[in-house]
Amino acid sequence: ETHFGFQTVTEAERREKIYQVFESVAKKYDIMNDSMTLGIHRVWKDILMHKMNPSPGTLLLDVAGGTGDIAFRFINYVRSVRERQLQRKLKHHQNLSWQEISESYQEDKFKSLGDSQVVVCDINKEMLKVGKQKAQHLGYSEGLSWVLGNAEELPFDDDKFDVYTIAFGIRNVTRIDLALQEAYRVLKPGGRFLCLEFSHVSNPLLSRLYDLYSFQVIPVLGEVIAGDWKSYQYLVESIRRFPPQEELKAMIEDAGFLKVDYQNLNLGIVAIHSGFKL
Amino acid sequence: GGQGQDLGQGPGSARPQPLEPSLLRFLVCPLSKRPLRYEEATNELINEELGIAYPIIDGIPNMIPEAARTTQKKPPAEGSKQP
Repeated sequence: ETHFGFQTVTEAERREKIYQVFESVAKKYDIMNDSMTLGIHRVWKDILMHKMNPSPGTLLLDVAGGTGDIAFRFINYVRSVRERQLQRKLKHHQNLSWQEISESYQEDKFKSLGDSQVVVCDINKEMLKVGKQKAQHLGYSEGLSWVLGNAEELPFDDDKFDVYTIAFGIRNVTRIDLALQEAYRVLKPGGRFLCLEFSHVSNPLLSRLYDLYSFQVIPVLGEVIAGDWKSYQYLVESIRRFPPQEELKAMIEDAGFLKVDYQNLNLGIVAIHSGFKL
Repeated sequence: GGQGQDLGQGPGSARPQPLEPSLLRFLVCPLSKRPLRYEEATNELINEELGIAYPIIDGIPNMIPEAARTTQKKPPAEGSKQP
């Protein structure tokens, strides 16, 4: 027995219901994120990327990565790091000919991502579809691939990835312990686990306002924008059901991660948990 | 899961999207975590040991065990399982 929002259901029912939620919201997912969080989710995801601070050559597995927000940010980030690296290299070579300088700026000469790669894994076909379309639309193709898979049973070999991220996804996993174990398995030794997720607000005043906003405004927005009150009701309830910061930290440690830590954003509305496979 | 026409591929249309080659470095069977063989003819990833095949749809490998078909039987003549 487990929970779906505030309802009690079997594990199988929960997986099915959650699949349906995301199938239903996929096309409006990005718009709803912007509306519900007043665009602040973009800042949260930017902060996650800055915390990761990936260098070119990094191999990232983004789980529950659906519509690609983390993947695209990763690509942008390593691209700009790479560009700065190359510019610095050029500045130090004082006796390059014009020929050599122009050659190094040619796109096919330098690998703009420097061997960095991101694999987006999601259990939901519709979310991946939206993500892939977005990628095409925005011009992302190099170093990006998509896999339909289950966070609890990943189709990846051991010790493969430098970084594992799960942003606003772990809340929807039915067996979080299995997902964490799988995360540990697929990371290289020295690899980093990063989780961005809604968490718990301890400040009583903010907590009241947050509850009010969550239960009165969000489902209404869901109905008006996506025609789907129930899915957003689930979202709000699932946030309340999700373990708070310290409990999630303990679960991550149980999976074998070390140096586990978390950083509250907006007083705990969101938290970034980090751990290392050492 | 449902395959097919909603992916914009009618019968006898363009060849299915190939798998991103770099993925073969990491992909394994989610059940056994053992390597897979890419079968170009059917656009599937085959686990010979367990006798199952994971489909690749629109270039995206479907690595959910429930979606895999067993390779023991011959695939149906009329592709209900068209990539």
